[in-house]
Amino acid sequence: MLGRFFKIGPNSEVVGLNDRNLNLIYPNNPRKHYALADDKVKSKEILHKNHIACAETYAVINRVSEIKRTWNSCKQYDALAIKPANGCGGNGIKILRKGLHGTWVSGNKMIRDQQVAQHIMSIISGVYSMGSTDSCLIEECIVPHPFFGEIYGTGVPDFRIITLKHKPVLAMLRMPTSKSDGKANLHQKGVGIGIDINQGTLTQVFDGKRYLDHHPDNPQTITGKIIPYWNELIEISKATAKAFPLDYLGIDLVIDETKGPQVMEVNVRPGLGIQLVNKIGLRKAIALVEEQQSKYVPIRKLSRYKESPILRPAANN
Amino acid sequence: MHTPQNLKMALLVISFLTGLSLLYKAIPVSKNLDDFYAEEMYLVTYRYYFKNNDGNTTIKTYLPKNNSRQRISAEETGIKKGIQFERLAKDGNLMGVWTANKPNVFQNVDYQFMYEGKATQFHIPQNFKSTLEVAHPYLNETEHIQAFHPKISQKARELVLGSRSDLESIQRLFNFVHAIPSAPIISFTDALTTLEQNRASCNGKSRLLVALARNLGYPSRIKGGILLEHVRKRTSHAWVEILVNDQWVPFDALNGHFAYLPSNFLELYAGDEFLLVHTAGVQLDYTYEIKELDKIPFLSMNSEQFSNISPFSLWGLVEQKVLPKKGLNLLLLLPIGGLLVAFLRNVVGLKTFGVFLPVLIAMALMETGFAQGILLFLGLIMFVGLVAHPFNRMGLLQTPKMVISLTLMVLVMAVGSYLGVKTGIAWLTSLTIFPTIILTISAERFTTLIQEDGFQKASSTLLQTLMAVSVCYYVIANEWLPTVLILFPEILIWVIMLSIVLGKYIGLRWTEVLRFNPLLTPKSV
Repeated sequence: MLGRFFKIGPNSEVVGLNDRNLNLIYPNNPRKHYALADDKVKSKEILHKNHIACAETYAVINRVSEIKRTWNSCKQYDALAIKPANGCGGNGIKILRKGLHGTWVSGNKMIRDQQVAQHIMSIISGVYSMGSTDSCLIEECIVPHPFFGEIYGTGVPDFRIITLKHKPVLAMLRMPTSKSDGKANLHQKGVGIGIDINQGTLTQVFDGKRYLDHHPDNPQTITGKIIPYWNELIEISKATAKAFPLDYLGIDLVIDETKGPQVMEVNVRPGLGIQLVNKIGLRKAIALVEEQQSKYVPIRKLSRYKESPILRPAANN
Repeated sequence: MHTPQNLKMALLVISFLTGLSLLYKAIPVSKNLDDFYAEEMYLVTYRYYFKNNDGNTTIKTYLPKNNSRQRISAEETGIKKGIQFERLAKDGNLMGVWTANKPNVFQNVDYQFMYEGKATQFHIPQNFKSTLEVAHPYLNETEHIQAFHPKISQKARELVLGSRSDLESIQRLFNFVHAIPSAPIISFTDALTTLEQNRASCNGKSRLLVALARNLGYPSRIKGGILLEHVRKRTSHAWVEILVNDQWVPFDALNGHFAYLPSNFLELYAGDEFLLVHTAGVQLDYTYEIKELDKIPFLSMNSEQFSNISPFSLWGLVEQKVLPKKGLNLLLLLPIGGLLVAFLRNVVGLKTFGVFLPVLIAMALMETGFAQGILLFLGLIMFVGLVAHPFNRMGLLQTPKMVISLTLMVLVMAVGSYLGVKTGIAWLTSLTIFPTIILTISAERFTTLIQEDGFQKASSTLLQTLMAVSVCYYVIANEWLPTVLILFPEILIWVIMLSIVLGKYIGLRWTEVLRFNPLLTPKSV
């Protein structure tokens, strides 16, 4: 145990933050392109241009003077989501639904036009984006597929797929719990569910401390549960990875009840907790993906993982 | 990624050369290591000019002696043709006597020595041996120390009324004498006069304190010397020593040093004496010329001697007053602290507020003191966080919000300083502009983090920051470290080299070893 603290080289299987930054992020993700992923408006432009399924953009508001007119034009829709383009941790996101007699409801409360305008104003003036001014995104409201409801009914679940050089290497399903306040983030008491990428099935639930075979709020076991549209989800994540000039990405996806798989957002610095959720180190996962594609690499020869060609940056990056 | 080979070579060559240069200096230096650890160093010259019409002149003064807190070296007695010098031991003191017998000419004597000194804090037990019954020479009444005058007795009894220990009694006497307004030396003040007119110089205060102490059976005496500073002066200084369990403990009731002697107090003699005595009818002028020297604390050499070994050090910056010594120290400590934080973040895996903030906080602690500083830091962050909370909820922009926090911090500190002055708590007044700004930035980071990650995570980061601060403080508060860096600036090149190594470190962080433990434990298949 103590020896591990003083091990200087990379771990042969698990990727730590130093390793991730030096060998995955820096060589694969040029800093000048970070904004394409960080700014939701920009990433959606790229997604739309490449015809990748994602929530329809109803409007983008950059100036205070546009708020009133744009909001009025959005009133035709039954439900919509208002988001800051550069928000973080889900702050500043409001989901609105049409109530009776043309009123709008957010959560369980009625919300007046003036309050909506005020919220948009604070997004634009940068309240949720740490100082700089921001744009406000108004988009289609995604209705989660019943598959999610079978596991846990409330909140916003999503899939996270890690791609390296356009190839999906690890995936997980993030689910809110009764303790996580609707959020699916592992740090905020959500749970991660491991995914067998090849089979498209769920493996085990990880709540940050323990491994379970069921969601903490639902006794039904999920091990082996088949994910609908899995092949499409993989294809969409490959297409998304190709559309961005960033070669190491965490792609967040969700399945809409009627429209099927949709990309939610794209991350340039995906977290490493996914290794714990899947009980497998990222280096090992990368090597396994390579094994499937090249017949020449002997199976499970861990010493080769360091020399993995996929980890080596392209010559002119 | 591969560092180009020639760059690697260049770095290796530079490391090697700086290593050589280090070694070249370190060898002679290691022969001059000194375990006295003096904090200050002065060159002191007593200068006397005199003329006597009938030709027989004697000048007597006290000469310094070595003890546990002062070291005297390079003494020059000023003997020359026509002037004799003689050392004389008297009542445990050492006197120098110069005799000249040429009539009607101006003559001069320069007595010179090097002083190295360190501050000393003495520990006093709650209760100690009282010597009231034994006839003790340091319990006597003298002409100027009227220890048993009814007024002194009454005051002494009044002061220690209800005191529960010897320490408390001494503290009360000291506080009383310390509180007497100070006056310039105009005329001779004895103990009684000091008490009656409630105004005195160092001499009068010392006599009164000795009288009060003796009255209560604490053996005590006057101590004489010179307060060393980089000036020419004519005044000597007097303070008090009280015998505590066979040890003489110093008290300066004029400057408020309780059982403490600063490093620039030159001790010359014990007893109610004059520093300078000369034959009557002599025309005499004198001055004490004192020059402060740059002391290298752990070496028995000064900066000049070091420059002779190797001109390549940063002493030049200090000597030519390009940079103040304190500023240079902080500047040189920054990279060392930075390297430490880099290690703590990338190898240990601590999460801290920013990269240099822990170093800067540690530096601010050097001004406030560690324990008080940490408490102050936590208290202020919590307070400002709390007070700023309603402003955060107003949904204000970042920069104006920061100005509000800063203003609150300045107000709190102004109130704190005021209270500090009122209550005499020194560390409350130690908040200057540097700690203020650093504290504000930290408080701001903390409140922002609370909004982003919740209170629990923010507190955890705060705790980790404090751990990093403690490590930094432990290293950079070492007194010898800045001096080592001034003598061996090559070390900074090595900081760059170490940072390169650290920058290439891709092992798991220690915190990650814990986090990914389930994946690292070999599975029992």
